[in-house]
Order: sequence, then structure tokens, then C-alpha cells
Amino acid sequence: MIDTEPHLAGLLEARKLRRKEPPYEPQADNAIAGLLGSYFATQLPGATVSDVARLGGGASKEQFSFTLTQDGAAAQRYVLRMDPMEGITETSRQREYEILKAMQGVIPVPRPVWLDAEGAHFGRPAVIMELVPGSPKPSNMTLSVTGLGTVLGDPLRGQIRPQYLDMLAKIHNFDWASADLPSYTAPTADPKQATRWLINFWKELLEQDALVREPVIRLATQWLEENIPDCEKLCLVHGDFRTGNYLFDEAAGIVTAMLDWEMSYIGDLHGDLAWLLQPVFGTRIDGVFRVSDIFEGEEDFISAYETASGNTINRETLHYFKVFNDWKSYILVSALGMRAAREQHNHQDVLLTFLAATGPMFVADLAKLLSEGGPQ
Amino acid sequence: MNPSVKDRLGSVVRALNGVVLPALPKEASLAQEQVMLAMGHIQIILAQMDAAPVFVGEELADVERMARDVTAAAKGGVETGLAIALLDTLLTSTATEAPEARTSALQDAIDLLLQALAKDGDPAVRKSVQAIVLQQGAARAEKDRRWFAAMGFDIDYSGG
Repeated sequence: MIDTEPHLAGLLEARKLRRKEPPYEPQADNAIAGLLGSYFATQLPGATVSDVARLGGGASKEQFSFTLTQDGAAAQRYVLRMDPMEGITETSRQREYEILKAMQGVIPVPRPVWLDAEGAHFGRPAVIMELVPGSPKPSNMTLSVTGLGTVLGDPLRGQIRPQYLDMLAKIHNFDWASADLPSYTAPTADPKQATRWLINFWKELLEQDALVREPVIRLATQWLEENIPDCEKLCLVHGDFRTGNYLFDEAAGIVTAMLDWEMSYIGDLHGDLAWLLQPVFGTRIDGVFRVSDIFEGEEDFISAYETASGNTINRETLHYFKVFNDWKSYILVSALGMRAAREQHNHQDVLLTFLAATGPMFVADLAKLLSEGGPQ
Repeated sequence: MNPSVKDRLGSVVRALNGVVLPALPKEASLAQEQVMLAMGHIQIILAQMDAAPVFVGEELADVERMARDVTAAAKGGVETGLAIALLDTLLTSTATEAPEARTSALQDAIDLLLQALAKDGDPAVRKSVQAIVLQQGAARAEKDRRWFAAMGFDIDYSGG
């Protein structure tokens, strides 16, 4: 077993067994409707399922919205999120369910209601949560693959900015030790364990899935292993915090839910900060780079974050996690995504091969960061 | 007249855009997204098609150059010696495989050398090999970014 979080080490072993499976055939919408019907026949006898529709917009899970009607109660809309056989990430529906439950009342998140952790009923691990109203992008934007390049524009930028900071601060200052998170393990053995576990997890995914051996990625792996910083404060890390991963009410300018918690873990908060600072998650319009299309450059974000959270950013550690996140991003799109597409183990091969075109951006940035050797 | 590859792909895009996409129900958001991505892929492939053989050839030339340069710079113990010998053999062998396969084989061999240098390479030599890989890797990545700029993700090259 890989030396990483025990629950994640189990995922890494289980995925090896799926590699030899034949191509994945996405289930038809009416088959999903049947599965939902039989599921609720035992979970909520008398309830009826209707309006089942496949959702787009994501890059990792199969998602369906549906309506559940029970006697004496108003009809309620839900989302079913199921694992494909392989995808751009390797994550746990059980952890997603636990963290969404833990974050109720902390920041706006969907309420998780049912969990099929092993896929006993749905065939693949699945979680069902309430559908939250809102959109990840303004109505004047057309296609935005996984939220990349989302331009909020004005006045949304100013309206969302304090909410964005408040959510991030509350995540990083969340009392995870008192929360009910049985599938999460706190890396408390030594100050480097949190990041060592993280590196080991992603390195194993790279080893399992890489289709080509990119020399700059090998140097990055070595550098990351040889330069692990101490984690000064163990925090809840969202893992994919950025514009495109929250819903908002456009008319009111209010965030209705923070989504995509599947890569969350307990570790170093710099992981989230370096992630959202990546150019690919921002915009550049008229020469102005905006972090998440909200903050005018990195320093604007950093000072606003420090004020909102009370947490101090260590520039050396931030540099380390910039390297880590470029490396992780490359592994996501160029190793896991391309492997899933090559094996035909996903329902969105056409998206995965499109996203893989971002790989050279991460290689270029890694080469630059590793050449610099430290924060500039 | 035989239909060219460009004519055929162009007609596929027109069918997807003019017939398939409008026929999809409003709520079929994933299907709409996939049709648009399929059209995007085909349009970019059409734009790249003529230049693709040159691109693949240049990619191989770049990795051959890196392989030669790191082989010349590397020194170390037994593992490093074996990795250098493997790269040497690959570089001096007559290429019979497709360019993509040769690129991949050379990348694998460079990868082995970088791992070997971490184990028994001379530290100063390791640093100079790393500098070669980073400098040439950065240059290669810039070419790849320009090649994929039409995908629209790259805020430096896609005109976003």
C-alpha cells in the first residue's frame, strides 16, 4: 500500500483492478431513472422519481438531476453524482458525502442526503444531494468547459469578492478535528506528513496512468520529494477552490453553493492558494490578469486573503505549492484524463482529450518555477 | 473526384452544427456540450492537419537533441552508466518506428537517466543535466502551447 491517507490508499489499489475492464458504456437516462426508482422504493417507500436529466458542465462525474415527490411533501430536486470507471480524478463519494455534511451551516454547500459508497445499488459509487439553484457562470457566457475562462465581469466581481474570501477563510479556519469525518485521516505524525502523503498519492496516480514520460515532470517529482516544507497549521483544504466551482444567483450577486469538494483533504492551506492563483483558472483581459476573474493580480488576492482569514502566507511555501499544483494539474489532464480516454473508461472522452491540451501550459510553468528555484 | 479528408470532416461539422445540435432537446446539456466539443476538435484538426507531420517531426527532433545533450553531460555510478548506454543505443540506432513511438522511447530513456542521476549521479553534473532539461523542456512546451492555442484555454496564447 502507498504511504498516503489510508482511505485514499485503498482507492489507489482498487483502481488498478478496473484497468482491464472493457470500454465503459454510459447508462441511458431511462436506465438511471429505473435505478433511482428502485433505490427510493426501499429508501423512501411511496416516493416517486421524475424529470431525470443528464447534466453537463463537469469533467469528472456522471451527474443527473431528478425530482423526488413524496406524499404530503413538496417535490424536491436532487442531483445524483456517480463515478465513471475512470476519470480525470480519483476521489471518494464517501468523503464527498462526509465533507458536505460537515460544512452545513459553515458556508453554502449542497446538502448531501443519500450515499451508495460502494456502488452496491447504482453499480458505481454514488452520492445524492439537494440541487442548489444558481449558475457557475453569467448568463451571457456560452460554453465554458469545467468553468475555465469564466468571466464574471462587473458588477459580479465586486459582489462575489467578499463572499469568495469569506468562504475560503471559513474553510481554512474550520475546526476539522471536531468534525465527523471518519474517512479523513489527519497527518499528525510529523510536520511533513501532510504534504508527503499528498505527493505520494499523486505520484502513484502518475505512475499508474502516464502514457508518456515527460522529462520536466520527472524533475518536478524529484524536486517536490526533496523539498517538502513543514506544514505550520493543518487545515481543511478544498482542493479545487476557484471561480467555476461555485454557483451564484446572478440577479442578487449572491453565492448559493461551493461545489466540487471531492479533492478535499487535511493539509497545508497553501495548496488551495497556489491552486486558485494558477493562470488557467483566471482571466486576462486588456492585459490585466485577474485571479478567478476577481482579484487584480496575485498581490491583490494575497493581501485580501490574509486580512479575511487571519492566516499568514509563507512565500516559500506558496512557491512550493505552485510547483505542486502545476504538477498535479498535469497529472490530472495529461495522465489520468488521457489514460481514461485511451482506455475508453469515461463518458466524456471528447472532453478529456480537449482538456489534455492544457498540459503544455503546466509543463512550461513548471520549467519556469523550477528554474527560478524560489519565489520571485 | 474523391472527397478529400478536409471535405469529409467539414461535412461532419456541418451536420453536427446544422442538424444534430438543433435537434437536441434543451435539457440535454451534456449532449449539447459534447457535440460542441466534437465540432471544436474537428475544426482545430482541420486547421492543424497540413502542419501536423512537421509538428510531429519537430517534436522528435527536439527530444533527440535533449537526449544527445543530456547523454553528453551525464556522469555517475553504475545506474547512471547503464541509463547513458541505453540512450546512446537508442540515438545511434536506425529509426524504423513511427516518429511518435521514437519520441516516446527517447522520453522513457531520458526519464530513466534522470532517475539514475538522482541515485548515483554526480551532484554538479545532475544540476547541469537538470538545467538542460528545463531549458529545452520550456522551449518545447512553448511550441506545444502555440500548437494548442486554438483550444482556447491558454490566457497567453489563446487571445483570452
